[in-house]
Amino acid sequence: MKKLVSLFLCLALLLSVMSFAAAEEDMTLNIMLPDFYSDSDFVTLEAGNPVLEAIYKATGVKLNITWVPNSGYGEQTTLTLADPNNMPEVMVMQGPRDAIMIQSARAGAFWDLTEYVNDAANYPNLAAGEKTVYENIAIDGKVYGIYRARPYARAGIYYRNDYAAQVGYAEEPKTVEEFKDMCLKMAAIDPNIYVFNMCKYVAGTIGIMTVMNGAPYSYGVNAEGKIYPAFEDAKYQEGLDFIRELYAAGGIDPDFMTIESGNWNDAERSDPIKALMRLDCLDNGYRYQEWLEQNKGADTEKPIVSLLTAIPDKDGKIQIWPQNIGASGEIVITKAVSAEKLPKVVKFLEWCNSAEGQTLLNCGVENETYWIQSDGFRYTFPEGEKDNAATYDAKTATIQHSLNQLGMNVNGDLTPATASTLLRDEYNQNLLENAKYVINNPCLTLESETNNLMGATLNQEVEDAQVQYIAGKIDLEGLQKIYANWHAQGGDDILAEYQAAYDALK
Amino acid sequence: MTTKAVQNPAKPMPAGKGGYWHKLGVDLGKNKWLYVMLIPGLIYFLVFKYLPMWGIVIAFEDYSPFLGPFQSPWKGFYWFQRFFSTSKWVTYLSNTLILSLMSIVFTFPAPIILALMLNEIRNMHYKKLTQTLLYMPHFISIVIVVSITYVVFGTDGIMYKLTTQLLGHSIDYLGDPGVFRWMIVGQAIWKETGWGTIIFLAALTNVDTQLYEAAMIDGANRAQRLWHITLPAIRSTIVLLLVLRMGSVLDTGYEHLILMSNALNRSVSQTLDVFVYQNGIVNGQLSYTTAVGLMKSLVSVILVVTSNKIAHALGEEGLY
Repeated sequence: MKKLVSLFLCLALLLSVMSFAAAEEDMTLNIMLPDFYSDSDFVTLEAGNPVLEAIYKATGVKLNITWVPNSGYGEQTTLTLADPNNMPEVMVMQGPRDAIMIQSARAGAFWDLTEYVNDAANYPNLAAGEKTVYENIAIDGKVYGIYRARPYARAGIYYRNDYAAQVGYAEEPKTVEEFKDMCLKMAAIDPNIYVFNMCKYVAGTIGIMTVMNGAPYSYGVNAEGKIYPAFEDAKYQEGLDFIRELYAAGGIDPDFMTIESGNWNDAERSDPIKALMRLDCLDNGYRYQEWLEQNKGADTEKPIVSLLTAIPDKDGKIQIWPQNIGASGEIVITKAVSAEKLPKVVKFLEWCNSAEGQTLLNCGVENETYWIQSDGFRYTFPEGEKDNAATYDAKTATIQHSLNQLGMNVNGDLTPATASTLLRDEYNQNLLENAKYVINNPCLTLESETNNLMGATLNQEVEDAQVQYIAGKIDLEGLQKIYANWHAQGGDDILAEYQAAYDALK
Repeated sequence: MTTKAVQNPAKPMPAGKGGYWHKLGVDLGKNKWLYVMLIPGLIYFLVFKYLPMWGIVIAFEDYSPFLGPFQSPWKGFYWFQRFFSTSKWVTYLSNTLILSLMSIVFTFPAPIILALMLNEIRNMHYKKLTQTLLYMPHFISIVIVVSITYVVFGTDGIMYKLTTQLLGHSIDYLGDPGVFRWMIVGQAIWKETGWGTIIFLAALTNVDTQLYEAAMIDGANRAQRLWHITLPAIRSTIVLLLVLRMGSVLDTGYEHLILMSNALNRSVSQTLDVFVYQNGIVNGQLSYTTAVGLMKSLVSVILVVTSNKIAHALGEEGLY
């Protein structure tokens, strides 16, 4: 009997050693990603997800994904980081300069990846990322994540040129002043059709409009080298005044501040159309045109959507609002990963940036979620199945879900090319030519304790007041009272801290 | 309603002689098995109710989850001072109190009135049907209620158009800060009044029907019967619920307010609960918001104790 027991124990020990050995090669990775398809199912690796299987075959990594609906991702980030014992191993941090990111990184929540992104010999893909963007996301000079690359010059205006032609703007406006004139004329076309398509998320609309009008972004530096908030710039006020004027002229939906950003497309895609123009990422512009081509039979040779960016203001200055800091968040490795496991996880992120990794994460598996058709381009449906595209999209969503959120593409886009449209080409051209016009926030990488603590609340108050100003609920005096309040409630401290950091850098 | 602490009738506690501890010792000796049976309950409360309360220690620290409550730097009353050093706290507190008082004045009596009305319905089938219909809104999520509100009261909505036609000027239901609180109270009444009648209807079933018959013989009309029999019968229930409600005067909840708030009405929709949610959960300032939450709880305890005292003074049983 004793022998039997000891034999059994030996066997158990052997088995556990063997399973450990297996774990050495295969690696399970718990990751947390924002989910844009929370209304559709997700096929797990165990249930035979072909994409995750392909990733496993290529790298030996079993991905165990926690999907968090994108709208609640910020809250979930805070809650996740409040429980250090149950953190995922890899996660997306959406705001590289948010207080929660800075606090957590300093408290030691994430691994410092600086040496890896500088190690071109072993991690060529990660090291191929832009140095300035790595600097933009660095905290105390340390890089805590791999950024998710996005073009700088992404923001602008897209509008329906068929309606603009009705008011004498068959040609694109050449200056900001012409643009304003065009907007006001478009507002008069039909009282039921608005010009600006706006939603709750007003920061983009106000930012694009004011920066185009010549204002600084977030903070400005005056001739004496003093930092001041952008909203106190005269050009900023002028831009804001224009939005107010357009609102008063019936050019903006009076309910805009109640529209969720998830419903932003509704006004331009409704029937009859409700809004003609949007200040946003321009890639939404070519997607809008492609949607019109597919659903409304719009002409593919003569787009009815125009992309407008990089036009001079009154003083001839051209400025583009920075949609982002060259990155849309970053992928961090938390301390849930042991020091031994860390290089392997970094290796996996390195692989994610390879052509194979990028393709699997962004497009999936060929003939399952994407198809290379006879013209050599990548499509989301097989040849001759264009009419069933929606069915294929739905199936792809269950397999692919939002896996692209793990994609970083710091070394450029290496996925199979898609067939382009006229507007998409123009967009890609814009990105290259206009990057030089993008302005930056001078305080982006500067440190302010007060801003970490109160910045979000203070900015919210300013933004609310600006919305009230646009909607005509308060006048200039009321707006300036809120600005004065901003200074009194902590804004002056923020400015002083930024100024000190700014002067120290010089 | 609540069960009174059962005293062992066979062994009454010795009166007078000795202090509290002495009496406890005597009682322990006499009823030791009863006390043994109390132990699991005590442990449950200690482990699951009292131990977690130590978490409020982070209100006095600069808490970082990665350092834990023991290593995080001690800050004393820093966060409390910080909260009161900005003038915003007045806004948060007054928003909270105004909304709560409006809810006590308008939302609280609504189920009582409705329960009294239901009580007067004589046809049982009709009464049952009405009750079922009245309970339904309770099961509708507040998200749906707010969505319906947006559709009905938005600038394309039927109510907006109707009131514009009738009044000759438009009312900005969704944006006007002056309308905001009435919308919140209105939604709460619409959603919860029917459900709130349950407890009062239960209390009403306890009213002795002989009292009604006697009153009828004496010539009391319906209003008199309502005033002199029904209302006094459910008075203790009303007081009890009111005392409980006082404990949550500072609880406005946040999801309803956040759903209804926007850039135009945020000046009145920012309550203490919304502040705690926005700064604690969204912005991750755990210590700061714990401190604010702690202050809120302290005020709530004071309010419950005071209102209970008042209830006693008025000759009601109160909460305890």
